[in-house]
Amino acid sequence: MSVVSTCRGSDAVKEILAVIRMNKINATKRALADAGISSITARKVMGRGKGKVDYLLLQGAQAGHEEAICQLGPGPKLIPKRMLTIVVPDHVVPKAVRTIIDLNRTGSPGDGKIFVLPVLDTIRVRTGETGDQAIDEMAL
Amino acid sequence: MIMIRAIIRPEKSDEVLAALMYAGFPAVTKMDVYGRGKQRGMKVGEVIYDELPKELIFTVVREADKDLVIETIMKTARTGTKGAFGDGKIFVSQVEEVYTVSSGIREGEEMSAIALSAT
Repeated sequence: MSVVSTCRGSDAVKEILAVIRMNKINATKRALADAGISSITARKVMGRGKGKVDYLLLQGAQAGHEEAICQLGPGPKLIPKRMLTIVVPDHVVPKAVRTIIDLNRTGSPGDGKIFVLPVLDTIRVRTGETGDQAIDEMAL
Repeated sequence: MIMIRAIIRPEKSDEVLAALMYAGFPAVTKMDVYGRGKQRGMKVGEVIYDELPKELIFTVVREADKDLVIETIMKTARTGTKGAFGDGKIFVSQVEEVYTVSSGIREGEEMSAIALSAT
């Protein structure tokens, strides 16, 4: 039996990459668990957003004006963030995204971003199951 | 939207981030990673180091900006004139949806275009 197979699930699987504030991680984990999404991977990352950047300066620098480049400097310092990786079936994506947004939203810049990417296949290492069977959140 | 993940030398990361800023792509995330490439790591004397420290930077950009970002990273992350083993790799993948947490809205290609031209 071949362990690796092509995606055969009826429901596509998506990877949600969420970059959020450091201090929101525990509440987010709890809320996701309450929503039935228990499997997550979290790691510490450093990042910056477009936050405090003046777009006129950026455009100037892009056009090659020395003054704009000098004013821009080496850019804002990187800020520590947490990155969550969650793999869920298609129909759970809106729920997961809403849970993360509701909890992490303070309204000010720096709250983070959420990206949704396609996943071709999932394999559970313990049993070798592929596709739908390897995703716990399928029943949600 | 397109996600660009680049694995680069740690000592080059500041330079690449500055170059991305000047090119108009301030938003990036970076993390420390360890890995090896097709040269199977680095051999120093008898010892083979196959977990070389690298830095992974990732950014999500519009489809139209893809080539510019790749070119910017490529130009700054390369060492020497012709480049050397260990300079890194760039991976490009499709992003289906992008949300900004602070506003709670889903961003599309046209949204970021407006945000860019508004100021």
